[in-house]
Amino acid sequence: MPARIPAGSIALWRTQSGRVTASADRCPHRGMRLSHGFVRGEALSCIYHGWSYGQTGECLRIPAHPGLTPPETIRVAAHAVEEAWGVIWVAVGETTAEPPRFEGFVPLRSLTAHADLATLKAATGATAGTAGLDWPAPGAPEIRLLSVPQEGYETLIHVLVPGDSSPAQRIAASRAAETLRRTAEDIQAKGLAPWSTTR
Amino acid sequence: MIDEWYPVGLFSQLDAVGRRTALMGEPIDVARDAEGNAKVTGGNGRALPACVRYGHVWSSLGTPQKALFAIPEADQPGRRFVDVGVVRVRCSPLRAVENFLDIAHFPFVHTDLLGAEPHTEVQNYKVEIREDEVWATQVKFYQPQAAKSASGGITTEYIYRVPAPTCSVLYKTCPPRPSEWDVITLFVQPLAEDLCDVWPWMALFDDTTSMTDLIHFQQTIFLQDRSILENQIPRLLPLDPGMEIPTRADLTSVAYRRWLKRRNYTYGAQLVAQ
Amino acid sequence: MKLYDYILSPSCYKVRLMAALTGVKLDIRPVDFHPGAEHRGQELLALNPAGSIPILEDGDLILTESSAMLVYLAAKVAPSWLGSGGAEETARVQQWLSFSSRLTASLGGARLHEMLLRPGDFGALQSQGIASLRELEAGLVEQGLHGMGFLASDRPTVADIACFPYVVLAPDGGVSLDPYPAIRLWSRALRSLENFIEMPGIHRLHELKPEPHIEPGKV
Ligand code: FES
Ligand SMILES: [Fe+2]
Repeated sequence: MPARIPAGSIALWRTQSGRVTASADRCPHRGMRLSHGFVRGEALSCIYHGWSYGQTGECLRIPAHPGLTPPETIRVAAHAVEEAWGVIWVAVGETTAEPPRFEGFVPLRSLTAHADLATLKAATGATAGTAGLDWPAPGAPEIRLLSVPQEGYETLIHVLVPGDSSPAQRIAASRAAETLRRTAEDIQAKGLAPWSTTR
Repeated sequence: MIDEWYPVGLFSQLDAVGRRTALMGEPIDVARDAEGNAKVTGGNGRALPACVRYGHVWSSLGTPQKALFAIPEADQPGRRFVDVGVVRVRCSPLRAVENFLDIAHFPFVHTDLLGAEPHTEVQNYKVEIREDEVWATQVKFYQPQAAKSASGGITTEYIYRVPAPTCSVLYKTCPPRPSEWDVITLFVQPLAEDLCDVWPWMALFDDTTSMTDLIHFQQTIFLQDRSILENQIPRLLPLDPGMEIPTRADLTSVAYRRWLKRRNYTYGAQLVAQ
Repeated sequence: MKLYDYILSPSCYKVRLMAALTGVKLDIRPVDFHPGAEHRGQELLALNPAGSIPILEDGDLILTESSAMLVYLAAKVAPSWLGSGGAEETARVQQWLSFSSRLTASLGGARLHEMLLRPGDFGALQSQGIASLRELEAGLVEQGLHGMGFLASDRPTVADIACFPYVVLAPDGGVSLDPYPAIRLWSRALRSLENFIEMPGIHRLHELKPEPHIEPGKV
């Protein structure tokens, strides 16, 4: 599936055996986005000509030349990935740090807002925790938000709720997140109006 | 580059009101004048060169040095001419042509129509420059349903020809008449460097398939390509080697890129690897 | 049953898809919608004065709304596609069937504008399309929290078929589907159904077939 990190778009995929890989979202052959590809077994194949790649980025197969072992120079860059507590973390560049842990929380859903991070913070009135925002959402359980800035003024928000929340509480949290997005986008739209000086 | 001929509309659809479109960033108007001839007007009201050929109106922002390229088969009696109609694509005009020259994607993009796994192998074929056109010959590929008139799979033979930077002509095995070739073309109108209107056109020997079926088959094929073309990065076609990796199956594409570079045709191209 | 059909029309595709999934054989009558504008010609206007396609003809019955065609096919041969008959589920089916016309207007309008150069306020169509996608995404999230993978039920219904085509073809109109993970899972579930058929712009899920073993040089 396609995913966006501050460094751009990536192809995030899970092999049949369950391992997650974050590859650059561009096939070295003719530039097709790899996130449109398909996963068979332990390899990701490009939808355009079917070249397939392993988890470390090496090209495994070129269907137009079935007898050929692809040269090692054909590679797709891969980012370091870590999966913890239902959240997949992708590192941009070198990292030694472990991803933060959210004991007791489970991921609910992810949504994209046309608003930047500062606006989002303003809209929640949330306090920044060790990682993510603790948001005392009205009428919903304690919600933790993980936000990832995207290109333009967009922010990707991952919503986490306590693992013991009931289905009704989870639905309330999902609706609260929609309201939050609307609020943030309203503020953003006003802030970016031509007469605004806060641009 | 401005001296090339480009397709700007279907002649059969042209009336006195005409259509407003664009050529390489400049707004143009294409209409039929009182005598019934095609008339093309540039952004500042100047009259642009115009000719009508292969179902389409052709024009240029500059002064074409030569007449429009020839497709002798277009004058052969017994062929049916198919105006497939325009499709807009958010990609470089050159990417659209390159995709048309490629067969290795058939099993994955045109699954069960032009190709299917496990028949993915591309056999060696010949590429040459003939009278300053790119030609690829003896191109063979296994197809489950090569044309509307074909039933069942056959190994189809193709000849590809690039007579102009944004146009390609394809000759393909013609099931009802083994001694002749079906002609399928891709005429691309560059609206901007990363936006184009594509006008497929065909000249076929096929007396049984309805015109609408022929149009729909070709539109199906092209729409499958469109979803690829709008997702290639970068949008512009890289002309310098290094940014993308070709194999033997891509010899036509390699020759096309070199040919463009030699002619200094850079509209829609990316020159420096980024 | 005769379907007046255009291969690139998502509304026509709904009917072809429903027929394929329920094993109904349609008599397809191709209409030269583009470039020929045959749907605005006398023959088709006599069947459907609104000048739209698809048109489904079965004996004396003429239907011109794709949602009605889906319901007709289901009622005739596969009633389970109408839902289980409970009040809530029936209402949800109707809810999304009506909602699907908003997808047609917004995402469908943006697609016609971007692809076949039809007039329209592109910016407005796109933002209405995004609003509809968000609504659908939220609906699917809530269904998921109720343990149901489809719009109205734990199994696909006519509501899913009514919404699916314009949603998956949103990128044709310049609207990205990247921000909607629930829609992606739902679309994959539909595309994995037995007897599913594609239309141009919706690629085959090649992962459903195992990787073939290929002997080089044997063509
Ligand atoms: S672009 Fe990926 S295989 Fe050709
Ligand atoms: Fe193609």
